[in-house]
Amino acid sequence: MPEFLAAAALVILAVTAVALFRVLRSRVAAERMMAVQLLGTGGAGALLLLGAASGSPATIDVALLLALFAAFACVAFVLDPAEPAGEDSPEEQP
Amino acid sequence: MMVLLDLALAAWLLALALHVVMERNERSAIIAFLALGLLLGLVWVRLAAPDVALTEIAIGGGGTGILLLRAEAALRGRGKHEEGATRGGKLAVAAGCAVISAGLGFAVLALASPAPTLAPAASDAIAATGLGNPVTAVLLAYRALDTLLEKVVVLLALVGIWSLAPDGIWGGAPEVAPAAVPGPLAWLARILPPFGVVIGVYMFWVGADAPGGTFQAGTVLAAMWLLVIMAGLLPPPDAASPALRLVLVGGPALFLAIAFLGFIVADGFLAYPEGFAKPLIVAIEAALTLSVAAALAMLVAGPARKAPAR
Repeated sequence: MPEFLAAAALVILAVTAVALFRVLRSRVAAERMMAVQLLGTGGAGALLLLGAASGSPATIDVALLLALFAAFACVAFVLDPAEPAGEDSPEEQP
Repeated sequence: MMVLLDLALAAWLLALALHVVMERNERSAIIAFLALGLLLGLVWVRLAAPDVALTEIAIGGGGTGILLLRAEAALRGRGKHEEGATRGGKLAVAAGCAVISAGLGFAVLALASPAPTLAPAASDAIAATGLGNPVTAVLLAYRALDTLLEKVVVLLALVGIWSLAPDGIWGGAPEVAPAAVPGPLAWLARILPPFGVVIGVYMFWVGADAPGGTFQAGTVLAAMWLLVIMAGLLPPPDAASPALRLVLVGGPALFLAIAFLGFIVADGFLAYPEGFAKPLIVAIEAALTLSVAAALAMLVAGPARKAPAR
Protein backbone atom coordinates (compact mmCIF):
# COMPACT_ATOMS: atom_id res chain seq x y z
CA MET A 1 0.00 0.00 0.00
CA PRO A 2 2.71 2.55 0.87
CA GLU A 3 4.31 1.79 -2.50
CA PHE A 4 1.04 2.55 -4.27
CA LEU A 5 0.55 5.80 -2.32
CA ALA A 6 4.10 6.92 -3.09
CA ALA A 7 3.54 6.12 -6.77
CA ALA A 8 0.36 8.20 -6.72
CA ALA A 9 2.28 11.08 -5.10
CA LEU A 10 4.93 10.80 -7.81
CA VAL A 11 2.29 10.97 -10.54
CA ILE A 12 0.68 14.03 -8.95
CA LEU A 13 4.06 15.74 -8.57
CA ALA A 14 5.03 14.95 -12.16
CA VAL A 15 1.75 16.31 -13.53
CA THR A 16 2.03 19.39 -11.32
CA ALA A 17 5.62 19.99 -12.45
CA VAL A 18 4.73 19.83 -16.14
CA ALA A 19 1.74 22.12 -15.65
CA LEU A 20 3.78 24.48 -13.46
CA PHE A 21 6.36 25.17 -16.14
CA ARG A 22 3.68 25.60 -18.78
CA VAL A 23 1.88 28.14 -16.58
CA LEU A 24 5.06 29.94 -15.48
CA ARG A 25 5.93 30.60 -19.11
CA SER A 26 2.54 32.16 -19.78
CA ARG A 27 2.52 35.75 -20.97
CA VAL A 28 -0.46 36.67 -18.82
CA ALA A 29 0.60 37.76 -15.33
CA ALA A 30 -2.50 36.34 -13.64
CA GLU A 31 -1.73 32.93 -15.11
CA ARG A 32 1.82 33.02 -13.78
CA MET A 33 0.37 33.65 -10.35
CA MET A 34 -1.82 30.59 -10.75
CA ALA A 35 1.40 28.57 -10.86
CA VAL A 36 1.75 29.10 -7.12
CA GLN A 37 -1.88 28.04 -6.58
CA LEU A 38 -1.22 24.96 -8.70
CA LEU A 39 1.81 24.09 -6.60
CA GLY A 40 -0.24 24.60 -3.44
CA THR A 41 -2.92 22.16 -4.60
CA GLY A 42 -0.60 19.57 -6.14
CA GLY A 43 1.93 19.83 -3.32
CA ALA A 44 -0.71 19.45 -0.62
CA GLY A 45 -2.14 16.41 -2.40
CA ALA A 46 1.27 14.80 -2.76
CA LEU A 47 2.12 15.57 0.88
CA LEU A 48 -1.12 13.99 2.13
CA LEU A 49 -0.36 10.84 0.11
CA LEU A 50 3.24 10.77 1.38
CA GLY A 51 2.04 11.31 4.94
CA ALA A 52 -0.31 8.35 4.63
CA ALA A 53 2.44 6.28 3.00
CA SER A 54 5.00 6.96 5.73
CA GLY A 55 2.49 7.17 8.56
CA SER A 56 3.78 10.51 9.86
CA PRO A 57 1.01 12.88 10.95
CA ALA A 58 3.37 15.89 10.86
CA THR A 59 3.31 15.71 7.06
CA ILE A 60 -0.39 16.54 7.18
CA ASP A 61 0.43 19.73 9.11
CA VAL A 62 2.93 20.66 6.40
CA ALA A 63 0.19 20.16 3.78
CA LEU A 64 -2.09 22.42 5.84
CA LEU A 65 0.48 25.18 5.93
CA LEU A 66 1.23 24.75 2.22
CA ALA A 67 -2.46 25.25 1.40
CA LEU A 68 -2.64 28.34 3.62
CA PHE A 69 0.44 30.03 2.17
CA ALA A 70 -0.41 29.21 -1.42
CA ALA A 71 -3.63 31.15 -0.85
CA PHE A 72 -1.69 33.89 0.94
CA ALA A 73 0.67 34.22 -2.03
CA CYS A 74 -2.24 35.68 -4.04
CA VAL A 75 -1.82 38.81 -1.94
CA ALA A 76 1.62 39.37 -3.34
CA PHE A 77 0.05 39.57 -6.74
CA VAL A 78 -2.85 41.83 -5.86
CA LEU A 79 -0.66 44.11 -3.80
CA ASP A 80 1.12 46.27 -6.27
CA PRO A 81 0.25 49.97 -6.25
CA ALA A 82 2.42 50.62 -9.30
CA GLU A 83 0.56 48.12 -11.44
CA PRO A 84 -1.67 49.96 -13.89
CA ALA A 85 -4.97 48.18 -14.34
CA GLY A 86 -5.11 45.95 -17.37
CA GLU A 87 -1.38 46.06 -18.01
CA ASP A 88 -1.48 42.58 -19.40
CA SER A 89 -4.53 42.84 -21.60
CA PRO A 90 -2.65 43.88 -24.77
CA GLU A 91 -0.37 40.89 -24.37
CA GLU A 92 -3.20 38.41 -24.19
CA GLN A 93 -3.45 36.18 -27.20
CA PRO A 94 -6.91 35.23 -28.40
CA MET B 1 9.68 4.18 -5.62
CA MET B 2 10.84 6.65 -2.99
CA VAL B 3 14.19 7.02 -4.77
CA LEU B 4 12.37 7.83 -7.99
CA LEU B 5 10.25 10.40 -6.13
CA ASP B 6 13.32 12.02 -4.59
CA LEU B 7 15.09 12.18 -7.95
CA ALA B 8 12.02 13.77 -9.55
CA LEU B 9 11.81 16.33 -6.72
CA ALA B 10 15.50 17.20 -7.04
CA ALA B 11 15.22 17.60 -10.82
CA TRP B 12 12.13 19.76 -10.42
CA LEU B 13 13.81 21.92 -7.81
CA LEU B 14 16.86 22.45 -10.05
CA ALA B 15 14.71 23.28 -13.07
CA LEU B 16 12.65 25.77 -11.05
CA ALA B 17 15.79 27.38 -9.60
CA LEU B 18 17.20 27.77 -13.13
CA HIS B 19 13.91 29.29 -14.23
CA VAL B 20 14.09 31.85 -11.39
CA VAL B 21 17.60 32.86 -12.43
CA MET B 22 16.90 32.98 -16.17
CA GLU B 23 13.56 34.83 -15.99
CA ARG B 24 13.96 38.37 -17.31
CA ASN B 25 10.82 39.90 -15.82
CA GLU B 26 11.50 40.62 -12.13
CA ARG B 27 7.95 40.04 -10.94
CA SER B 28 7.70 36.71 -12.75
CA ALA B 29 11.02 35.72 -11.20
CA ILE B 30 9.71 36.63 -7.73
CA ILE B 31 6.54 34.60 -8.28
CA ALA B 32 8.62 31.63 -9.42
CA PHE B 33 10.80 32.16 -6.34
CA LEU B 34 7.65 31.93 -4.18
CA ALA B 35 6.87 28.61 -5.86
CA LEU B 36 10.46 27.52 -5.20
CA GLY B 37 9.99 28.22 -1.47
CA LEU B 38 6.85 26.09 -1.35
CA LEU B 39 8.56 23.30 -3.30
CA LEU B 40 11.52 23.38 -0.89
CA GLY B 41 8.99 22.58 1.85
CA LEU B 42 8.22 19.30 0.08
CA VAL B 43 11.92 18.52 -0.16
CA TRP B 44 12.42 19.09 3.58
CA VAL B 45 9.57 16.66 4.26
CA ARG B 46 11.40 14.03 2.20
CA LEU B 47 14.54 14.79 4.23
CA ALA B 48 12.51 13.90 7.37
CA ALA B 49 12.69 17.46 8.72
CA PRO B 50 9.04 18.55 9.07
CA ASP B 51 10.00 21.42 11.43
CA VAL B 52 12.22 22.93 8.76
CA ALA B 53 9.56 22.26 6.12
CA LEU B 54 7.00 24.26 8.10
CA THR B 55 9.42 27.17 8.56
CA GLU B 56 10.45 27.13 4.91
CA ILE B 57 6.87 27.20 3.66
CA ALA B 58 5.86 29.95 6.10
CA ILE B 59 8.89 32.17 5.41
CA GLY B 60 9.38 31.34 1.73
CA GLY B 61 5.69 31.52 0.83
CA GLY B 62 4.77 34.34 3.21
CA GLY B 63 7.06 37.12 4.28
CA THR B 64 9.78 36.81 1.63
CA GLY B 65 7.39 37.10 -1.29
CA ILE B 66 5.77 40.25 0.03
CA LEU B 67 9.12 41.74 0.95
CA LEU B 68 10.55 41.12 -2.53
CA LEU B 69 7.46 42.30 -4.39
CA ARG B 70 7.29 45.51 -2.34
CA ALA B 71 10.99 46.10 -2.96
CA GLU B 72 10.47 45.53 -6.68
CA ALA B 73 7.52 47.94 -6.74
CA ALA B 74 9.59 50.57 -4.92
CA LEU B 75 12.50 50.18 -7.32
CA ARG B 76 10.44 50.10 -10.50
CA GLY B 77 10.83 53.20 -12.61
CA ARG B 78 13.78 54.26 -10.52
CA GLY B 79 17.08 53.50 -12.24
CA LYS B 80 15.44 51.21 -14.74
CA HIS B 81 17.48 52.75 -17.57
CA GLU B 82 20.85 51.85 -16.12
CA GLU B 83 21.38 48.28 -17.25
CA GLY B 84 22.77 46.33 -14.32
CA ALA B 85 25.46 43.88 -15.29
CA THR B 86 27.37 43.33 -18.50
CA ARG B 87 27.71 39.89 -20.03
CA GLY B 88 31.14 39.48 -18.47
CA GLY B 89 29.83 40.51 -15.07
CA LYS B 90 27.00 38.00 -15.29
CA LEU B 91 29.44 35.26 -16.28
CA ALA B 92 31.67 36.15 -13.33
CA VAL B 93 28.71 35.95 -10.93
CA ALA B 94 27.62 32.64 -12.49
CA ALA B 95 31.15 31.26 -12.10
CA GLY B 96 31.32 32.42 -8.48
CA CYS B 97 27.96 30.82 -7.68
CA ALA B 98 28.98 27.60 -9.44
CA VAL B 99 32.19 27.42 -7.39
CA ILE B 100 30.24 27.93 -4.14
CA SER B 101 27.67 25.30 -5.14
CA ALA B 102 30.39 22.83 -6.09
CA GLY B 103 32.21 23.52 -2.83
CA LEU B 104 29.04 23.01 -0.79
CA GLY B 105 28.27 19.82 -2.71
CA PHE B 106 31.78 18.54 -2.09
CA ALA B 107 31.54 19.40 1.61
CA VAL B 108 28.22 17.53 1.96
CA LEU B 109 29.59 14.49 0.11
CA ALA B 110 32.71 14.53 2.29
CA LEU B 111 30.73 14.43 5.55
CA ALA B 112 31.53 11.47 7.79
CA SER B 113 29.05 8.62 7.40
CA PRO B 114 27.35 7.90 9.74
CA ALA B 115 27.43 11.55 10.80
CA PRO B 116 28.33 12.29 14.43
CA THR B 117 25.04 12.89 16.18
CA LEU B 118 23.68 13.98 19.53
CA ALA B 119 20.17 12.79 18.62
CA PRO B 120 20.18 9.76 20.97
CA ALA B 121 21.32 11.95 23.89
CA ALA B 122 18.60 14.50 23.06
CA SER B 123 15.95 11.80 22.94
CA ASP B 124 17.13 10.16 26.19
CA ALA B 125 16.83 13.36 28.24
CA ILE B 126 13.53 14.47 26.76
CA ALA B 127 11.47 12.88 29.54
CA ALA B 128 12.91 15.39 32.03
CA THR B 129 11.40 18.29 30.06
CA GLY B 130 7.96 16.73 29.65
CA LEU B 131 8.02 17.67 25.95
CA GLY B 132 7.35 15.32 23.06
CA ASN B 133 9.07 17.21 20.24
CA PRO B 134 12.88 16.87 20.42
CA VAL B 135 13.31 20.02 18.29
CA THR B 136 11.41 22.11 20.83
CA ALA B 137 13.41 20.46 23.64
CA VAL B 138 16.64 21.52 21.94
CA LEU B 139 15.37 25.04 21.24
CA LEU B 140 13.87 25.82 24.63
CA ALA B 141 15.63 23.51 27.08
CA TYR B 142 19.07 22.25 26.00
CA ARG B 143 20.08 25.25 23.92
CA ALA B 144 17.68 27.85 25.32
CA LEU B 145 20.43 30.47 25.47
CA ASP B 146 20.79 30.40 21.66
CA THR B 147 17.04 30.83 21.24
CA LEU B 148 16.98 33.72 23.70
CA LEU B 149 19.76 35.56 21.89
CA GLU B 150 18.14 34.82 18.54
CA LYS B 151 14.90 36.52 19.59
CA VAL B 152 16.86 39.53 20.81
CA VAL B 153 18.60 39.69 17.41
CA VAL B 154 15.19 39.85 15.71
CA LEU B 155 14.35 42.86 17.91
CA LEU B 156 17.68 44.50 17.08
CA ALA B 157 16.98 44.01 13.37
CA LEU B 158 13.62 45.71 13.84
CA VAL B 159 15.28 48.64 15.63
CA GLY B 160 17.67 48.87 12.67
CA ILE B 161 14.76 49.05 10.20
CA TRP B 162 12.87 51.57 12.29
CA SER B 163 15.97 53.76 12.44
CA LEU B 164 15.67 54.30 8.68
CA ALA B 165 12.70 56.59 9.30
CA PRO B 166 13.40 60.33 8.95
CA ASP B 167 13.63 62.31 12.21
CA GLY B 168 10.33 64.12 11.71
CA ILE B 169 8.19 60.97 11.61
CA TRP B 170 10.14 58.86 14.10
CA GLY B 171 7.72 56.67 16.00
CA GLY B 172 5.16 56.83 13.20
CA ALA B 173 3.41 54.05 11.33
CA PRO B 174 4.62 52.28 8.17
CA GLU B 175 2.55 52.51 5.03
CA VAL B 176 1.54 49.09 3.77
CA ALA B 177 -1.87 49.40 2.17
CA PRO B 178 -2.03 50.48 -1.49
CA ALA B 179 -3.78 53.79 -2.17
CA ALA B 180 -6.78 51.98 -3.64
CA VAL B 181 -7.33 48.55 -2.11
CA PRO B 182 -8.30 46.09 -4.86
CA GLY B 183 -11.56 44.24 -4.20
CA PRO B 184 -10.04 40.73 -4.24
CA LEU B 185 -7.48 41.76 -1.60
CA ALA B 186 -10.15 43.06 0.78
CA TRP B 187 -12.14 39.88 0.22
CA LEU B 188 -9.14 37.64 0.87
CA ALA B 189 -8.29 39.63 4.00
CA ARG B 190 -11.74 38.83 5.37
CA ILE B 191 -11.76 35.15 4.41
CA LEU B 192 -8.22 33.92 5.08
CA PRO B 193 -7.24 35.31 8.55
CA PRO B 194 -9.86 33.31 10.53
CA PHE B 195 -8.34 30.11 9.15
CA GLY B 196 -4.80 31.46 9.47
CA VAL B 197 -5.18 32.47 13.11
CA VAL B 198 -6.57 29.04 14.02
CA ILE B 199 -3.71 27.35 12.16
CA GLY B 200 -1.18 29.67 13.85
CA VAL B 201 -2.48 28.92 17.35
CA TYR B 202 -2.53 25.23 16.47
CA MET B 203 1.10 25.40 15.28
CA PHE B 204 2.11 26.97 18.61
CA TRP B 205 0.17 24.47 20.72
CA VAL B 206 1.24 21.36 18.80
CA GLY B 207 4.91 22.49 18.92
CA ALA B 208 5.45 20.99 22.36
CA ASP B 209 4.72 17.47 21.16
CA ALA B 210 4.99 17.46 17.36
CA PRO B 211 6.68 19.51 14.65
CA GLY B 212 5.65 23.14 14.87
CA GLY B 213 6.42 25.78 17.45
CA THR B 214 7.07 29.43 18.16
CA PHE B 215 8.67 30.53 14.93
CA GLN B 216 6.26 28.75 12.59
CA ALA B 217 3.25 29.99 14.56
CA GLY B 218 4.67 33.52 14.74
CA THR B 219 5.22 33.58 10.97
CA VAL B 220 1.67 32.45 10.26
CA LEU B 221 0.21 35.08 12.63
CA ALA B 222 2.48 37.77 11.16
CA ALA B 223 1.31 36.91 7.64
CA MET B 224 -2.32 37.13 8.69
CA TRP B 225 -1.80 40.46 10.46
CA LEU B 226 0.00 41.85 7.41
CA LEU B 227 -2.84 40.69 5.20
CA VAL B 228 -5.38 42.61 7.31
CA ILE B 229 -3.17 45.72 7.38
CA MET B 230 -2.47 45.56 3.66
CA ALA B 231 -6.17 45.40 2.88
CA GLY B 232 -6.66 48.53 4.97
CA LEU B 233 -9.04 46.77 7.38
CA LEU B 234 -6.80 47.78 10.32
CA PRO B 235 -4.41 50.73 10.44
CA PRO B 236 -0.73 49.81 10.84
CA PRO B 237 0.43 50.51 14.42
CA ASP B 238 2.65 53.44 15.33
CA ALA B 239 6.18 52.32 16.16
CA ALA B 240 5.86 54.43 19.32
CA SER B 241 2.65 52.69 20.40
CA PRO B 242 3.12 51.26 23.93
CA ALA B 243 0.94 48.22 23.16
CA LEU B 244 3.10 47.26 20.17
CA ARG B 245 6.31 47.71 22.11
CA LEU B 246 4.95 45.66 25.02
CA VAL B 247 4.11 42.75 22.70
CA LEU B 248 7.52 43.02 21.00
CA VAL B 249 9.49 43.01 24.24
CA GLY B 250 7.12 40.72 26.17
CA GLY B 251 8.45 37.42 24.82
CA PRO B 252 12.17 37.98 25.34
CA ALA B 253 11.46 39.74 28.69
CA LEU B 254 9.47 36.80 30.04
CA PHE B 255 12.18 34.44 28.75
CA LEU B 256 14.86 36.47 30.58
CA ALA B 257 12.78 36.69 33.77
CA ILE B 258 12.27 32.92 33.87
CA ALA B 259 15.95 32.44 33.04
CA PHE B 260 17.00 34.54 36.06
CA LEU B 261 14.37 32.83 38.21
CA GLY B 262 16.40 29.69 37.55
CA PHE B 263 19.06 31.01 39.96
CA ILE B 264 16.51 30.90 42.80
CA VAL B 265 14.30 27.91 42.11
CA ALA B 266 16.63 25.68 40.07
CA ASP B 267 20.32 25.08 39.34
CA GLY B 268 21.13 28.35 37.65
CA PHE B 269 20.59 30.61 34.64
CA LEU B 270 18.00 29.18 32.25
CA ALA B 271 17.46 26.06 34.36
CA TYR B 272 13.85 25.00 34.85
CA PRO B 273 12.67 23.63 38.22
CA GLU B 274 11.94 19.91 38.10
CA GLY B 275 8.38 19.08 37.10
CA PHE B 276 7.64 22.63 35.96
CA ALA B 277 9.70 22.57 32.76
CA LYS B 278 6.80 22.03 30.38
CA PRO B 279 4.39 24.69 31.73
CA LEU B 280 7.23 27.22 31.84
CA ILE B 281 8.32 26.36 28.30
CA VAL B 282 4.76 26.64 26.99
CA ALA B 283 4.39 30.04 28.73
CA ILE B 284 7.64 31.28 27.18
CA GLU B 285 6.56 29.96 23.80
CA ALA B 286 3.19 31.72 24.00
CA ALA B 287 4.78 35.10 24.74
CA LEU B 288 7.53 34.51 22.16
CA THR B 289 4.99 33.58 19.48
CA LEU B 290 3.30 36.97 19.84
CA SER B 291 6.66 38.78 19.90
CA VAL B 292 7.89 36.97 16.80
CA ALA B 293 4.61 37.62 14.99
CA ALA B 294 4.71 41.36 15.77
CA ALA B 295 8.43 41.65 14.96
CA LEU B 296 8.19 39.81 11.62
CA ALA B 297 5.14 41.78 10.53
CA MET B 298 6.84 45.08 11.42
CA LEU B 299 10.07 43.98 9.69
CA VAL B 300 8.16 43.38 6.46
CA ALA B 301 6.11 46.57 6.87
CA GLY B 302 9.31 48.63 6.97
CA PRO B 303 10.21 52.00 8.48
CA ALA B 304 7.71 54.70 9.34
CA ARG B 305 6.19 56.72 6.50
CA LYS B 306 3.62 58.70 8.42
CA ALA B 307 4.05 61.01 11.43
CA PRO B 308 2.85 59.43 14.67
CA ALA B 309 -0.64 60.32 15.85
CA ARG B 310 -0.38 62.35 19.03
